[in-house]
Amino acid sequence: MTAAIAVGILVAGGVFLILRPGLARITVGFILLGHAVNILLIAADGAGRRGAPLTGEGDLARMADPLPQAFVLTAIVISFGITVYLLALVRASRRTGKPDSDPDDPGPSQ
Amino acid sequence: MGVVLVVAALSSMGLLSLVAPLLERFLGRNAGYLLAAGFIAVAVLLGLQAPTVLAGQPETASWPWIPALGVSFSLRLDGLASLFCLLVLGVGALIMAYCPRYLPHGGRHGYIYFLLTLFGGAMLGLVLAADLVLLVVFWEITTVLSFLLISAAGSQGAAPAARALLVTGMGGLALLGAVVLLAVITGTTDLTSVLAARQQVLASPLAPAVAALIMIAAFTKSAQVPFNFWLPGAMVAITPVSAYLHAATLVKAGIYLLLRFSTLFAGQPGWSLTLIAVGLITAVLGAAQALREHDLKALLAYSTVSQLGLLVAAIGVGTTVALAAAILYTFAHALFKATLFMLVGIIDREAGSRDIRKLSGLMRVMPVTATLTGLAGLSLAGIPPLIGFVGKESLFQGFARASAFPGAGVVTGAFAVLASVLTFAYGIRIFYGAFAGPTLQRRLYEPSWVFLAPAAVAAVAGLVLGPAVAILNPLMREAIVNVEPGSVPPHFKLWHGLTPELLMSAVTIACGLGLFVFRDRVDHGLSRLPHLGGQALFDRLYTSTFRLGAVVARSAHVSSPWTYLARPVAGLVLLGGVGAGTLGRLPATAGQRSQPLDWALLVLLAAAVAGLVRARSVLSAAALVGVTGLIVTTWFLLAGAPDVALTLLLAEVLTAMVVAFVLRGLPRSFPRPRRPGTFAAGVLAVLAGLAAAGGVLALTGRRGVSPTGEFFLREALPQAGGRNVVNTILVDFRALDTLGEVSVLGAAAMGIMLLLGGLDRADSERLVAPYRFVLGPAYRVLAPVTAAVSVYLFVRGHNEPGGGFSASLVAGIATGFGYLAGRPGTAPRWRGPGPLIAAGLLTCAGVGFAATMAGKPFLAHFSVPLPSGLSVSSTILFDLGVYLLVLGLMVTAVTRLASEDDQR
Repeated sequence: MTAAIAVGILVAGGVFLILRPGLARITVGFILLGHAVNILLIAADGAGRRGAPLTGEGDLARMADPLPQAFVLTAIVISFGITVYLLALVRASRRTGKPDSDPDDPGPSQ
Repeated sequence: MGVVLVVAALSSMGLLSLVAPLLERFLGRNAGYLLAAGFIAVAVLLGLQAPTVLAGQPETASWPWIPALGVSFSLRLDGLASLFCLLVLGVGALIMAYCPRYLPHGGRHGYIYFLLTLFGGAMLGLVLAADLVLLVVFWEITTVLSFLLISAAGSQGAAPAARALLVTGMGGLALLGAVVLLAVITGTTDLTSVLAARQQVLASPLAPAVAALIMIAAFTKSAQVPFNFWLPGAMVAITPVSAYLHAATLVKAGIYLLLRFSTLFAGQPGWSLTLIAVGLITAVLGAAQALREHDLKALLAYSTVSQLGLLVAAIGVGTTVALAAAILYTFAHALFKATLFMLVGIIDREAGSRDIRKLSGLMRVMPVTATLTGLAGLSLAGIPPLIGFVGKESLFQGFARASAFPGAGVVTGAFAVLASVLTFAYGIRIFYGAFAGPTLQRRLYEPSWVFLAPAAVAAVAGLVLGPAVAILNPLMREAIVNVEPGSVPPHFKLWHGLTPELLMSAVTIACGLGLFVFRDRVDHGLSRLPHLGGQALFDRLYTSTFRLGAVVARSAHVSSPWTYLARPVAGLVLLGGVGAGTLGRLPATAGQRSQPLDWALLVLLAAAVAGLVRARSVLSAAALVGVTGLIVTTWFLLAGAPDVALTLLLAEVLTAMVVAFVLRGLPRSFPRPRRPGTFAAGVLAVLAGLAAAGGVLALTGRRGVSPTGEFFLREALPQAGGRNVVNTILVDFRALDTLGEVSVLGAAAMGIMLLLGGLDRADSERLVAPYRFVLGPAYRVLAPVTAAVSVYLFVRGHNEPGGGFSASLVAGIATGFGYLAGRPGTAPRWRGPGPLIAAGLLTCAGVGFAATMAGKPFLAHFSVPLPSGLSVSSTILFDLGVYLLVLGLMVTAVTRLASEDDQR
C-alpha cells in the first residue's frame, strides 16, 4: 500500500515536471520517475520480508528477495548516468545558445 | 598441412593489415614494398597447394561458428578460388609496390595501407568462403572498405562514397536474402552442399527469387545497368585504390558470385536471358560512354563497366565454352586494366593531366611509359598476340555458339562485336595518343623505373601470356570444372585457325579502325546521345528519403517536450484504465506490507515532491531533489535493502555535486510556463500517478519470494562464496547483465564527452580551479580517508554491503570534492576517463573470456591461484572492472561539467 502510494506520488510529480518546458525541470522529472521505478521493483519482491539479504547474519526465511535489489542497484547507477547526461545536455544547450526552455520557441525544425 | 596453409594465408592477410600502419610509421610510404612482399608471400603460401588443388582435390578447413544454426567458419580452396586468389594477391602486390612512388612524399599513408591490405584480406576471404553466411560477411566487409577507401579522398569523396555504399550495400542485402532462401531450401549453409543440391534448388518455388537476388547482388557490385553509376563516381579515390578495387578485384566479386552460382542456375532461361540482356546492354552503353570521355580515369571506369558487362553476358550464355571464356577474360581484364590505371596515375603525376588529348606524342618524351600504355591499350582493344586478344576470341566463340534462345548466337555475337568495336575504338585512341601525334608537352620526363616497374610487370605479363596462354590451362581447367562439374573444358591457345571467331575479331578491328579514322564525326554523333543515367534517379530517391524522414520526425522536432512526451504518458494512463477494467479478481496480498514508519516517510515524500513541482528557483529544486533522494534511501533501508540504500545515498551526493557544477551556468529560476498548459499537464500527471499507483497495488505483493530469489539466498555462499547475496548476483550469478549495464554507463560517459568537448582533451590541466581556503585543507585531510573508505567498501563488498558500484561512487565523490577544493598545481591528476572506461570494460570482458578459455561458459566463476598459496576469485576481478568503469563515468561527469564551467 505505502509502496503504491509512493510510486503514485513520484510518478505524478515526475510526469508533471517532464511535461513542463525547460531541460533542467525535465531532468528533475526523470530523477523522480527513476525513484518511482526503483520502488516498484523493490515492491515486486514478494512477501514483504525486510531482512537484509546477507546470509550468515540471520534467518533465511526473513530475508528480502535479493533479485530486485540487484536490479535496482544497477538501475540507480544507470539513472545517475542518465541524470548526468541530461545535465550535460542542459549545459550543451546553454553553450550553443539555443533556447531549450522558451515555451514560445517554434523549435529547430521549422 | 594444406588446411593449415589456407588458414595461415587468410590470417596473415589480417595480420598484415594490422602491421601496415606500424610499418608506415617507420618506413613512410616505402612500407608498400614490404606489404607487396607480404602479398607475394601469402600467394606463395596458397601456391604450395597448387599441385593438390589442380589435381581436383580442394583444400577445406572448417570450424563451428554458430552451431545452433549450423553455420561454420569454413574455407575452401578450389580452382576457381585459386584463380581469384591469384588475381587478388598478384594485382594487390603490384598495387602495393606502386603505392610508394605514387603517394606523396611525407604525409600519413598508414590508413590507406591498412585499408588496402585489409581489403585484400576480405577479398581473399570472400573467394575462399565455403559457407554462405561467411560469404555474406566478407562481401559486406568489402563493401564497407570500399566506402572507406573512396571517402578517404576527402570532401569530394563523400557523395560518391555514400552512393557506392548504398548501392553495393543494397546488393549485400539481396545476397543475404538469397542466402537465407537457399538455407531454407537446402537446410544447410555449406556452399559445397548447396551447389551440389542443384535439383533440389531448381525444384523449389523459391528458385526464381534466389536467382533474382543473386543477380541483383552481382549487378550492384559489378556496376551493371541500372546500378552502373557508382563506379565512375568512385574514381575520386586515389589511383591505386581505383586500380585495385574498381578495376581488378572488388568489381570482380560480382563476377565471382555469378560464376559460383552458375553451377546452380546455368542454362535456366530466366537466369540466362537476364544476364545476357543486362550484360550486353551494359557492355554497349558503357563502351559508348567510354568513347566519349576525355578524362582517362573516367574513360577507364566506363570501360570497366562495359567489360564487366561482356563477362556477365558470357556467364549468362552459360555453355562450357562461354563460362571458360568468362573466366579467362576475367584474368586478362584484371591484367590490362590494372596496368592502364597505374599508367594513368603515372601520367597524371608527371604531366598533371589525365586528358587523353594531351597524351599526344608521349612516345618522344616518355618512351617506356608510352610503350607500356600502348601494350595495355592494345590488349584492351583485343589485338593479337596479347592476352586480351585470346580472351576476346574465346568470348566471341562463346557468344557465337550461344543457344539460350533461338538465334541467340547471332544476336549475342552481334552485340558483343558492337561493344568490342567501341572498345577497340577507345583502346586504339589510347594507343594512338601514346605513340603518334605531335608532342604537346615537351617538358615531361620518364619517371623512375621503380615507379614504372609494377605497371611494366603487368603489361609484359599481358604480352607474354598471350602466346603462352597454355600455361594458364591447368588452372583454368580446374576453375571451369568447379563451376560446371563434369564438363570438358576447352584448351586456350593463341591461334585457333580460321574460325568464325577470327572473322568476328577481324570485323571488330576493321569497324573499330573505321570509328577511329572518322573520330571527329563519331565524337559529334556521340555527344548527342544521352548520358548513361541511373544516378539522377538514385539521387532523387536519396533526397526524397531524407525528406520523408524530416516529415516523420517533424512532430518530435519541437522544443516543448509536451508534444511528444504527453503521448506515451497518455498511453500509460490508457493502459491503466484498460487494466482496471479487465483485471478481474486478484490473489490476496501476501504478508504484512506496510509499517508505521513507511507512512511517516510517505508524508515527507509527498511534501518534497509538492515542493519540487512548485519550485521556481533552481537552487531550491536542487535541494529538494536531494531531500527526495534521502527519503527514498530511507525507504530502501527499511525495505531491507542496505546495498541499494548505500548506493542511492552515494549517488545522491554525487548528483548534488554535479548539479552544483551545472547550476553555476544556469539562470536562477526556471522558465515561467504558460497557464493553460500547466492545467493540462497537472491533469495528465495526476492521472498517470493514479494509474501507476493502481498498477503497483494490483500487481505487486501478491506472492512469496520468487523461486529465483530463494535460490540465490540459498546458493550465494556455497556457489559464489559470498554472504552479500546482492553482490554475488551482480558479479557472479548475473554478471552478464551487469556487463551490459556498465557498458551503458560507458556509452553515457562517451556521450557526455562528445557533448562537452572532444575525447582527447587534457583534463588534468584545466581541472585546476581557484584554490578554496576552507575546502582545500579539508580535501587534503579527507582525500586519503575517502580513498581508504572506497577500498574498504570494495574489499568487503562480497560479504557485507558495499562492492564495486558503491566503492566507485565514493571515489567519484572524492574526485568531485578534489575539484571543488581546487588545489592549485596539485589538483588530482586523474587519468582521463577514456582509459578508465576502456580498462573497466576490458577487465570485465577479459574475466568473461578467461572463463571460456578455461572451457567454462562465458563469465563463469573461477579462481586464479597466487604464488603465495592464496587465490583471487574471478568475481573480485569482475567487480574491479565494474569499479573502473563506473569511476570512469564519475570522472567524466565531474571533470566535463566542472571544467567547462570554468572556461567561461
